[in-house]
Parts: sequence; C-alpha cells; structure tokens
Amino acid sequence: MAASNEQQRAIRLDQVSKSYPGRMALYATSFEINVGEAVAIVGPSGSGKTTLLHLMGGVIQPDSGDIFLNDHRLSEMKPGRELSSLVGVIHQQYDLVPHLSVMHNVLAGRLGQWGILQSLMSLVSPKNQTLAVGALEQVGLVDRIRERTSRLSGGEQQRVAIARLLVQDPEVIIADEPVASLDPARATDLIDLLAKIARESNKTFVASIHSTDLAHQYFNRVIGLRNGEKQFDLPVAFVSPELLGGLYELEGLERESVVQE
Amino acid sequence: MRASSRSKFREGRGLLTLILAAALGLSLLSVDWTGGLLHSGGVSYAVRIFGGMFTPELSPKFLALALEATWNTLTFAVTGVTLAVGIGLPLGIAASGVLFSEGWLRTSTVAAARFVLAFLRSIHELVWAWLFVVAFGLSPMAAILALALPYSGILGRLYGDFLNDVPQNPLRALRASGASEFKTLAYGRIPMAMPDMLSYTFYRFECGVRSAAILSFVGIQGLGYQIQLSMDDLLYDQVWTLMYLLVAVIVAIDVWSSVVRRNLTR
Amino acid sequence: MTAHDPTLDFQKVAKSGLSMPMASLLGFIGLAVVSWASILWGGKSGFSELFMTGTWAGVAEFIGQLLGRGTERTPAFLDFASWRDALWLSLDTIAMSVLAIGFAALAVLLTFLPAARNVAFGELSGNRSAIGCAGFFLMRGVFVFTRGVPELLWAMLIVFVFSPGILPGAIALGLHNYGILGKLSAEVVEDLDPRPARALRTAGASNLQMLLYGVLPQLLPQFLTYMLYRWEVVIRTTIVVGFVAAGGLGREFRLGMSFFQYDKVMLFLMCYLLLVLGVDLIAAWLRRLVR
Repeated sequence: MAASNEQQRAIRLDQVSKSYPGRMALYATSFEINVGEAVAIVGPSGSGKTTLLHLMGGVIQPDSGDIFLNDHRLSEMKPGRELSSLVGVIHQQYDLVPHLSVMHNVLAGRLGQWGILQSLMSLVSPKNQTLAVGALEQVGLVDRIRERTSRLSGGEQQRVAIARLLVQDPEVIIADEPVASLDPARATDLIDLLAKIARESNKTFVASIHSTDLAHQYFNRVIGLRNGEKQFDLPVAFVSPELLGGLYELEGLERESVVQE
Repeated sequence: MRASSRSKFREGRGLLTLILAAALGLSLLSVDWTGGLLHSGGVSYAVRIFGGMFTPELSPKFLALALEATWNTLTFAVTGVTLAVGIGLPLGIAASGVLFSEGWLRTSTVAAARFVLAFLRSIHELVWAWLFVVAFGLSPMAAILALALPYSGILGRLYGDFLNDVPQNPLRALRASGASEFKTLAYGRIPMAMPDMLSYTFYRFECGVRSAAILSFVGIQGLGYQIQLSMDDLLYDQVWTLMYLLVAVIVAIDVWSSVVRRNLTR
Repeated sequence: MTAHDPTLDFQKVAKSGLSMPMASLLGFIGLAVVSWASILWGGKSGFSELFMTGTWAGVAEFIGQLLGRGTERTPAFLDFASWRDALWLSLDTIAMSVLAIGFAALAVLLTFLPAARNVAFGELSGNRSAIGCAGFFLMRGVFVFTRGVPELLWAMLIVFVFSPGILPGAIALGLHNYGILGKLSAEVVEDLDPRPARALRTAGASNLQMLLYGVLPQLLPQFLTYMLYRWEVVIRTTIVVGFVAAGGLGREFRLGMSFFQYDKVMLFLMCYLLLVLGVDLIAAWLRRLVR
C-alpha cells in the first residue's frame, strides 16, 4: 500500500528477514504504516507474527533489511529513553511484575525517563503518582492502585499493562496477541480500549489477533502472514472470509470461531 | 475483605523491615567499638595468614600427610552420615505419623519423635563432641556419634516432612486395593519421597565433610587436627594446603550431588 | 497380536545400565562399607567401650557433675545471679548471630547478581559480555570458597586479626553464610520468569532499572526465607564460634570447661537450648508476618 506523501510514515520495513536456528521465521518483508493507522496482523501460529511485532518494537534485531520508526533507523536507536518514547509493546500476559503493586507496575512506564536514583527512590515512595492515577482512571482500575498485581484477574492485569503504556506514552503501540487468553467479551473490551486510546492520541496501532470480527471492527488494514511470508496487505473491507480461510488452511488449524454478530 | 488483606500485607512487610533494621542496629551497638577493633599487629597477621593463600605447601611428604588426613575426615563423614540415616529414618517415619491412623497413640508417638528430633538437632556437633569426649574419652566413636546425633535430628525431621508431603492420590489407590499403612509406606510413600530424601541426604553428606573436618580439632585424626598442628607451628602455607583440600572434597561432593539431583528430577 | 516377551524388556533395562542416581547410591554404599570397615577394624575405635560397664560408670559420674554434684556451693543453674549473667551473655550471642546474618545478607545483595546465569550471560539484557562471563565464574568461585571453609576455621583465622569479642565471630559466620546465601540467591534469580523483566525493557528500562524493578521484587520474599533459615542455623553455631573467638556464651562455656565447673557448663547449655528455641519461635513468627 503506497504511502501518500502528505501523511507521515510511522513504521517502514525494508526487506526485513529473521531466522532462528533451524527455521526461517520471516522472509524478506517490506511494507509501510502511516501515523494513526490501525493494522491487524493475522495468520496461523508459527507464521511469524510475533517475530514481526518484536522486530517492529525493537525487541529483536533483523538478520537483514532495515526497520524505520518515524524515519529513524531502528538499529541505530538504543533501547531506553529514545526507543521507549517511540514504541511500546504489550503481550498476551507476563508483562507485569507480579510482586509489585499496581501503581509501581504502571509507573514503570516512566523508567525510560527516570535516572537510577529516581527509580530507586520511587520503589520506596512513588513519584508521579498523579500520572498513574490518571492512567488507571482511563482503564477503570483506580481503586486497585495499591494492590499487589498478582491478585488481579487476567483481564484486569492486561488493563494495568495498558495503563503502563499510557504512562509510557509511545507514538506506536504494538500488541502481540493481547487478548488471546481472554474470553470474547473481555477481548472486545480490551481491543476497544486500546483502539480508542490510539485513536484519541493519533497513535499508530499494530496488533496481532485471531478474531476476524475484531479485525473488521477496530482496524482499517490487515496484513496476513503464513510461514513467515506476507500473503496479503489490504484494507479491512477487502478481507473476506475466503481469503482468511486460505491463510489458515492446510495448517491443520481452524480459525477461531467467529463471534456471531 | 480485600482491603484488610491488602493492608495486612503491607503492614506485615513494613513491620518486618522495621524489626530487621532495629535488630541490626541493636546488635551493632553490642560490639565493643572502643576497645580497638584490630589486634595489635593484627594487620601484619592478616597479611601473613591470608598471604599464605597463594603459596600452599606442596611438598610430597606433606601432601601424603594431608591426603591421609583428608581420607580420615572423609571416612568420619561417611560413617557419621550413614549412622545418622540409620537413626533418623525410623525417627522420621515415627514423627511423620504415617504409620498410624488418628488417635492418641498417633499424636503421642508423633509428639515424642518430634521432640527427640528437635532436641538432637538443637545441639551443635561440637558441643556433642565435647560431651562425648569428656564422657567416653577421646576416640573416633566420640566424633562419629557427635556427628551422627545432630544430623539424625535434621535428616529425621526432613524425612518426616517429605514422607508427609507426598501426593495423596496414589496412596488412596494403594489403600483401596487393601494395603495396610505399612505397605502404603513401603510401596507408596518411600518411592515417591525418595528423590527428595536422596538429594537432601547428599547435601547433608557435603555438610558432614565440613563437620568432620571441624570435629577432628578435638584431637582425632583428620583435616582439622592437622590444621591445628600447622597453625600452632605458624606454618600458614600448610594450613592453606589443607584448606584447599577440604574445599576440593566439598566441591567434588557438591558437583556429584547436583548431578544426581538433576538426574532424579528428569 | 504378537506375544509380549518380558525377557526383551529385561535385556533392554540391563543393557541401558544403571541409572545415574542408582549408580551413585551404590557407590556411596560401597564407600560407607569401606569407611565403617576402616574405623571398626583400624585400631581403637572406641565402639567396643560402649559395651564396658566402666565406661557407663564414668558417664554417670559426668552427668552427676553436670547436675551439680561435687561442688560445695549451690549449682550455678540454680543461682539467680548466674542466670542473670548468663542471660546477658545470651544477648551478646544473639547479637553475634544477627550481625553475622546482617553482614552476609547485605554483602550478598550487593554482589550476587553476576553469579546468576541469566544475568551474567546476558539472557535478560540481551547481550553477552566478556566481563559478564568472567564475573560469573569469579563470583561463583568466591561463593564456593567462602562456604566451603567451615565457620570455625574462618573464626580461627580471623581471631588473629580482630580483637576478641563478638565481632570476629560475627565476621566468620558472616563469611561462611555469605557463600551460602549467595549461591541460593543466584539460583532464585536463575529460576525467575524472565518475561516481566524483558517487558520492562520495552517500556524503556535500562539494565539496572530492569534489575531493580523486575528481578529484585521477585527475589526478596524468597531471600527473606533463606535469611531466616540461616539465622536458625547460625544461632546453633554461635556457641562454638564464640568458643574460639571469645565472645558470648561460647567464651564462658570454654572457661567453665577448662576449670571443670560442670555446673556452670550445665547452666550455659540450658541457656543455649533456650536461645535456640527462642530463635526458632521468632523466625517462625517473622515468617508468618510476611505471608
């Protein structure tokens, strides 16, 4: 999909590939995503979704090719303040430190901005508490702010992870199967929340999901992967059940049953 | 409900930190800081003693003596630990209460066994050693018993815990097919608890070598005795040779036991 | 349906040989047999004396002396003043044990991280470094050495350097437990779930921040348990360390022994048992506090 010259390019991949011992995770892939777009990555397990998202989030480095965020080369950015203000990643689970309180986990989003001493002091008496409160209000969990994170349910913990993203305030939100372990109702709520946050601050939102319904409802573009190769890259309106069926077939896997509207 | 458990957690942690800090502070006060921390000439002693670390004595004659002492210590450790297992295992089984069903017989046996085990392991092996030497005179037996008794207390207690913590379902199946409590123990509990018991016994063996070395300070053949002789003669190079040998044996057993442990949990 | 031939199974087992733990057990049993043989038949072992009445008469006499027979004055363990002095000494002994654990714990928290495989070899931070690998072997070596040397031995060496009192004893115990706590802590960190720590990285944390927020909170509860457990062990050892390092109950115990004042020895033994019991109870209570 060609980027129009007026819109800024948030993410650009140029012939990016990644392999692991014994297998090729991603073949040379290129595409561009503009600021403010909401892109869904779909594909069967092992198709390279997580690899792709981790590459975009700067978690891993590609074997070949380049990734650009806001036209800055990703490989030249050091993890830390610069990278974390550009992109934030949320996973299916295990993002949060279970022993810490919700407040500390949320405030961890500021770690990129804090120095060592500040971080240390904040463990004892948290700085920027209003920031955490604000973020938790947006996700609806203010009353749990002082609780130990491990006491919250899976869905609630995901919302805390989102609150942390809010505090971190990156320009791009990358979500790797954020709702895979939630029931359909909570899944919808969560994607709704993420999409809303992205829309309101004009953030770019890229997520891997299984549900086609969620894709149609909250995203405007879908990229399909299979066996590490990009199969299609289309506006969501052009993505038909047959197209998706072809993506998932012959893998022995069935699509997640679509939640009937 | 949620609020109380939440605040109890934080209060507990805060109180604990306070207690630990207070304990440390008070203890620091107990030290006599005024009387001069270091011995007169302490620094030169330190240099001489710890300098010997780099120049251990390696003459063949001394090495032969050192290796013999190492062997002595090893045999003491082995005999002490095996005796400890012999005493600790029955006591542990009694303390776990697995052979009895509910009733006063069970509670009294369990209580008595636990008391004996607790008493045995409260007293440090050197104190036991001293008691036995005064009572029975200086002999290998005094050292072996001094090692075996507290170790039997430690081993027995843990054996009891392991036997108790075994998964219940296989035992239920055994009982349903008619096995008595004793047979359940033999066929069910012991095999299932065996990896933990073996692994901990090996760990105790490693500790036993250390203890045996110390026990030989009392005057019986072994590394401790030789270390004392060399220290009295101020021959620190020899002291370090012996210490290195001790550490080498302990490390060897440590490696052996971690290999065994890894194989057991596979 | 082919008949199941049991001899094939047996051959399979026999060919595969003994499992490693079984072989080790047999090896150990062999070692035990040899050791017992060398003790029992290698000269005067003392076991035969267990069966002589003369020995037991001596034991009876000794117990009598412990219980106060043979002294003109009131036995020490019935004397209020002696108890008071003994209790002060007990406080000193407790102080020694707390200091020892305190030193060890602080030193471990500051230095143990390189000894954890996932920290040293860069699994958490994402890059290996030569310093990390070297640090790993160095710290592991330090831990092995400090815990390999028995506390008493450390005490004997340290007492030459520091003036007698509870401090050298505390340092000796601290050194030994430093190695033990260090190894245990490294293992806890190695067994951690790395994902929360890695997620912190993407949120912008530097390596140090990742350790502070992601590793330490998961380590501390377990560390506390280990600390309390070691404290229970240390209090039992303070009496013998005090022996050598001349502090606390151990010093008076030694004096009592040298002057054959067995009733005093009895008093100190009783104090010692009370101390051990007390520490066990306090540690259990502290553990419950954090649950």
